Amino acid sequence: MTFNIGGMAGQGIDTIGGLLAKVFVKTGFYTFTVKDFESRIRGGYNFTQIRVSDAPVHCPVDDIDLIVALSKDAITGKRDQLVDDGVIIYDDRFDFEPDEECYFPAPLSKTAKEVGGSTRMTNAAALGALLSVIRFPFDLARQVLTDIFTRKGERVVEDNVRVAQALYDYTAERFSGRCRHNLSMLKGGPSTDRLLLTGNEAVAFGAMAANVKWVASYPMSPSTSAFIEVVSHARDLKIATLQPEDEIAALCMSIGASYGGVRSMVTTSGGGFSLMVEALGLAAMTETPVVIYNAQRPGPSTGLPTRTEQSDLLFSAFASQGEFPRIVLAPKDILDAFHTTVRGFNLADQFQVPVIILGDQYLADSAANIAPLDVTSVEIDRGKLARPADGDEYMRYRLTDDGISPRAFPGDEGVFVVSSGNTHLEDGHITEDPKIRNAMVEKFMKKAPAIREALKPPLLTGRADSKMCLVTWGSTWGAVSEAAEKLNKSGLSISHLHFTDLYPLRTGLLNEFFAKAERVVSVEQNATSQFASLVTMETGLRFDHHINKYDGRPMTPHWVMQMVEEVIA
Amino acid sequence: MSITIEQLEGPQKITWCTGCGNFGILAALKKAIVSLDIPHHQYVLVSGIGCSGKIPHYINLNSFHILHGRPIPVATGLKMANHDLRVIVHTGDGDCLGEGLGHFIHAARRNVDIAVFLHNNGVNGLTKGQFSPAAPRGYVSKTSPPPPGSPMEPVNGIAHAIVAGATFVARGYSGDQKMLTELMKQAITHRGFAVVEILQPCVTWNRKLTWRYFNERTYPLEENGHDATSREKALAKALENGDRIPIGAFYTGEAPLLADGLSLPDGRLRDHRTDLARLQELLEEKLV
Repeated sequence: MTFNIGGMAGQGIDTIGGLLAKVFVKTGFYTFTVKDFESRIRGGYNFTQIRVSDAPVHCPVDDIDLIVALSKDAITGKRDQLVDDGVIIYDDRFDFEPDEECYFPAPLSKTAKEVGGSTRMTNAAALGALLSVIRFPFDLARQVLTDIFTRKGERVVEDNVRVAQALYDYTAERFSGRCRHNLSMLKGGPSTDRLLLTGNEAVAFGAMAANVKWVASYPMSPSTSAFIEVVSHARDLKIATLQPEDEIAALCMSIGASYGGVRSMVTTSGGGFSLMVEALGLAAMTETPVVIYNAQRPGPSTGLPTRTEQSDLLFSAFASQGEFPRIVLAPKDILDAFHTTVRGFNLADQFQVPVIILGDQYLADSAANIAPLDVTSVEIDRGKLARPADGDEYMRYRLTDDGISPRAFPGDEGVFVVSSGNTHLEDGHITEDPKIRNAMVEKFMKKAPAIREALKPPLLTGRADSKMCLVTWGSTWGAVSEAAEKLNKSGLSISHLHFTDLYPLRTGLLNEFFAKAERVVSVEQNATSQFASLVTMETGLRFDHHINKYDGRPMTPHWVMQMVEEVIA
Repeated sequence: MSITIEQLEGPQKITWCTGCGNFGILAALKKAIVSLDIPHHQYVLVSGIGCSGKIPHYINLNSFHILHGRPIPVATGLKMANHDLRVIVHTGDGDCLGEGLGHFIHAARRNVDIAVFLHNNGVNGLTKGQFSPAAPRGYVSKTSPPPPGSPMEPVNGIAHAIVAGATFVARGYSGDQKMLTELMKQAITHRGFAVVEILQPCVTWNRKLTWRYFNERTYPLEENGHDATSREKALAKALENGDRIPIGAFYTGEAPLLADGLSLPDGRLRDHRTDLARLQELLEEKLV
């Protein structure tokens, strides 16, 4: 069952969407919420899609069962995606002549004002109407609303319930259209997953669980809410957060903090990351661990600031002058965003390299209810640290078998920590000696095989000898895995190989799949099949087909299936 | 336990040109450190790119020699990580007043508790003498466009620092060791963003800003009755850049520190461990 709440920026679409998601989470369903909005503070046409299911869902869909329209544009904006027997509820203050059975005008803002005392209660009104159309038992709704609003006090609970009930009753009486869903016998769904998180919140909690102590970030959609999540707990948890003058300062500060011994991070999007590139090289050259979260959006330049794309992969893998090891990771979903962020911090410390976590607007802003997370069980690995006994012998860049030198921090008694972005000696002081240069370059190169071993292999669904193998990375996992499942049910033979850990690339399973699958197809949210290019570069293997989406809107299973069918045809 | 000059003996051979103003700056830095009662391991030098940026290799201290123009933000993060550290930035006029000017001004606004020693010789020396952001209008060099010389006013680092909110602003001269050492000591021990612009000749490239030029023009503020507690008077002095060049402390004041405005723990940030039980509670607020 899929709902769409549409209206103008600033009208509370998110509030209704959030409320609706909470109602279904509380009654035991899996929900997935995705936001589609314009880069503006007020007005325009924005919407939130809430997908509700009795099995976990990880992506948006094209078909909508029920639309709530808070603006005139929203009444007809998604009409073409409405299923047969779908319903569009809209505020009757709009001058709109319903010419089809699916339209249902209701006095949303009027009732909000008359019964609830404020048009701000339109949220509750819309919810009441919506629940009534699907015959959601009101007693159940009342319980859930009471729970949700309890924290805000009895008055808020009463007002919300009263307004919701007024519209619920109004709709029950007046609604004469058809809706394919009837939940009147509903007792509750199977889900016990109650943790409602966005991708950005999951990144923030991952970072905090990993003991991030310094975050410097300049605001940039769609990364900003990750920073805000950390900022909102900074005082409580003693995390230093700063909004600096620009992204260059942000990464430089974070590198300084990391050199000083704290785990540090920046959150940004592609434009900000562009500014950080020189400092990325500094982190690499000085072997200072740092985590860079890039919530990608379509580029180049300002591109589509509030939309989604996976077009910074090759940029992330190769940004900066010079050659050095780095790690690029891209979480596959919200839960994975938490774990990947924690892992990112550990990998950064273990290998003393910059770690880039590639999210995107779709992952950043979408929300789902997931099983409770235990942040207290997170394991922290600070990598190789010098012992105080090393004393006078300490050299920050001591040549070792694995290329990793134990870290000490300035302020440690008895050692001097000398670090330089120039080519340096083992003691950190600068040199132009060709032998040392070679030794230091080789020190870097020694890390790559060990990093590759420490990274996760791709996630495999299906058999290697399938007719077609879909290869994906990052946040498109949800849409593509659902599409693959449906295609297999329809009798096709499709496997799915999904990468979270992108660079340095683990190539083992790829070789097997390219050898056995009849056709190997990349599916990417970009125009140039960047991951496929990376695979070809690292392995010499060539994909048979590429499926690409670059309109800034997230993939849906339906879209993927259509594209796969085109490839087959 | 005080530090001896021998303990500061630099690990590398100096590559500055003979007669370079940087020798005086290094000597004064060593004298300042020797005379202060601060543990050796608590000092960290952060330097940018240019002749000034090489100073960490000529003195035995913790150090981080980084990118062109960016030592101030790096030093800011470092100081927040460990407030026990005495973080000293060595930067040049090219480094700090060109690519780094934004960072310089914003760091002054934040009053981050670090000392910035700004080596000012009016040229980008290491890249062969192009005019720097501090070069006077009309400064001609063989390596800078356009032919008539620098077609713009120099950046006034002292005035920028005062206006932006730095709480200790001074100018020293590499040729006046006694005063420079004193100003460095004050800057290192000052609570807040401390700037010491240090006049130094570039003997190789700069034919105008020579030892003689500075010797003839510099005069001490203190002995001329300057009131360093007044920002207005400090700014008036900062704008005085004709035939006479004031040196000494322009301004000393107080303002909240950056650290006061961040959520730092009582101890060092680097030792702090987030309370995971509390984090779990915060996460559970997201339970529906």
